[in-house]
Amino acid sequence: MDPVTKEIFAQVAPALPFVIAVYAALWLGLMVYVSVVLSRLGKLERQLVLVEETVAKRG
Amino acid sequence: MLEGAFVDRKKLTYIMLAFAGIATLVGFLLAFFVAAPAQMLRTLDSGKGAIIGGGFVSNPIDFGQKIFYFHVPVAIASFAVFFFTAFYGVRFLMTRDRIYDTKSRIATEVTLIFVVLTMITGDLWTRWAWGVWWTWEPRLTTYFIMMLLVIGYFVLRASVEDEERRAVYAAAFGIIAFLDAPLSFAITRIVPAGSEAHPVVIGVPGGLDGSQLAAFLISMFGMIAFGYVIYQLRYREERAKERLEVLKTALED
Repeated sequence: MDPVTKEIFAQVAPALPFVIAVYAALWLGLMVYVSVVLSRLGKLERQLVLVEETVAKRG
Repeated sequence: MLEGAFVDRKKLTYIMLAFAGIATLVGFLLAFFVAAPAQMLRTLDSGKGAIIGGGFVSNPIDFGQKIFYFHVPVAIASFAVFFFTAFYGVRFLMTRDRIYDTKSRIATEVTLIFVVLTMITGDLWTRWAWGVWWTWEPRLTTYFIMMLLVIGYFVLRASVEDEERRAVYAAAFGIIAFLDAPLSFAITRIVPAGSEAHPVVIGVPGGLDGSQLAAFLISMFGMIAFGYVIYQLRYREERAKERLEVLKTALED
C-alpha cells in the first residue's frame, strides 16, 4: 500500500472496520447461501441415485 | 448427448462458482486498497479538512461510497436475473411447457435474494450519505416497487391452487413486473436531480476513473456469475425433487 493510501486509511480508521465488516458479512452471507443450496442438492442427488437403483432392481 | 450436456452444465456451474467467488473477493480488495486514492482525488470539493500525504485535503475520503462496489453490482445482477423471469414467462405462455414456469420461478427467487442485498446495502449508503434510512427518492421508490412486485409474485403463486392457472398468472405477472426494472434503472436519468438525487456514475462523463472502473467491473461480473450459479443450483435442485417425486410414485405403484 502506498504512503498516501496508508494515511487515508489511518484518517478514516474509526469508520473503516464497520464498512469492511458490512461488506464482508454480505459477501459471506451469499457464500453461505450457495453452500446451503449445494449441500441440499448433494443430499437430493444421493437420494435420487438410491431411489433410481431401487426402481431399476424392481423393474 | 443430453447426459453430456448436463455434465457440461454442471462443470460450468462449478467453474462459474469459482469465478464468482474470486472475482467478488478481488473486487472487494480492489475497492478498498486500489480504488481509494482515486476516490480521494474526486472528493476534494467540500467539507472538513485533513492533512494527508503531506498536503491539505478538504474532504479526505467518503468511505461510505465503498459500498458502491457491492451495491451497484448486486443491483445490476438483480435486473439481469429479473429479465429471465419475464423471458421464461414469455416462453411459458408461448409453449405452455411447465419447465419454463419452473425456470421463471427460480429466476424470481434469485432476483429476490439480490433485491434484498441491494436494499440492505442501499439503505446503509443512504444513512451514510443522506443521514436517513429511507427517502422517497425516484430510484429508491421504483426499486422498492420492484421489491414489492417480486414479493407479490410469490404471494400470487401461493394464492392460486390450480397448477395451470398459477403458472399462467405468474408468467403474466412476471412479465408485467419486469417492466419496472428498466424504469428503475433509467429513472435517475429521466427525473431531474434534486438535493437527494441518487448518484449517476455509469455512462456519464467523469463517472469512474480506471481503478474504480476495474474494481466495479470485476465485482459486477462476479456478482452476475453468482446469479448464474445460484440459478443453476436451484434449478438442478428443483429438477431432482421432481424426479424423486416421480420415482417415489412409481415405487408406491
